[in-house]
Amino acid sequence: MIEQITFGMLASVVILAALGVVLMRKVMHSALCLGLCLAGVAGIFASLGSDFIFGAQILVYVGGIAVLILFVVLLAGQASDLVVRQINEQWLAAVLICMIFLWSFAKIAVQFAGARALTDPAPTTKAIAGLLLGDYAVPFEMTSLILLVSMVGAVIFGRRKVS
Amino acid sequence: MTLEHYLALSAILFAIGLFGVLTRRNIIGILMSVELMLNAANINFAAFNRFLHFDAAVGNTSVIFIITLAAAEVVVGLALVMAIYKNLHTVYVEKYNILKG
Repeated sequence: MIEQITFGMLASVVILAALGVVLMRKVMHSALCLGLCLAGVAGIFASLGSDFIFGAQILVYVGGIAVLILFVVLLAGQASDLVVRQINEQWLAAVLICMIFLWSFAKIAVQFAGARALTDPAPTTKAIAGLLLGDYAVPFEMTSLILLVSMVGAVIFGRRKVS
Repeated sequence: MTLEHYLALSAILFAIGLFGVLTRRNIIGILMSVELMLNAANINFAAFNRFLHFDAAVGNTSVIFIITLAAAEVVVGLALVMAIYKNLHTVYVEKYNILKG
């Protein structure tokens, strides 16, 4: 019973905040809704028993990405942004495309109807560490390369032009 | 709770993110919607790991990789947004028509 209540609360927070991200007129409010939505997804991870990615989600997404987006919202904005339309004129076609996607997702999801968790949630950190340093060692090292490249790219794109 | 609840939540979140990508005029709004779609995929990974493959943590490991790549992607994306904003002084994507260099 308490599981259903928890899932309902988390899911409503996630969906309402996601709608806020997409529909809010002010980008600042969108960014704040994004932080709320990411925190709600972290709660969903916790309800799934994935303790490590719950922590990683809070640290990286809520603490890093949402704050970074907030910085850019504050840096790249004009006063006229508060009055102009934020949605383009193709929203009806976009709703149609999203409905088609939802329909196809529903077709997939009914194949897994009734799958229940057979075990109690167990700590996953040790298993993740074993996989990262075992089967996934090469992608794990490649990730460091990607992080280095993205850091260099961000510095190059972000520097001031010397003319 | 069963698996299809989480799949439904993930599908709704993905559809909302897709709607945002298709309709937002603001480039930062589009980046935020992409983050929503990545999170929908993460929920799916964690849910399938919990309900169908609970003996290994492969789904959780994939989520770790996705979170790392999303952080890298958003850093480069926001640096590009700031570089474009310094040149064009706008954040609306329909004005971004002189990106040839």
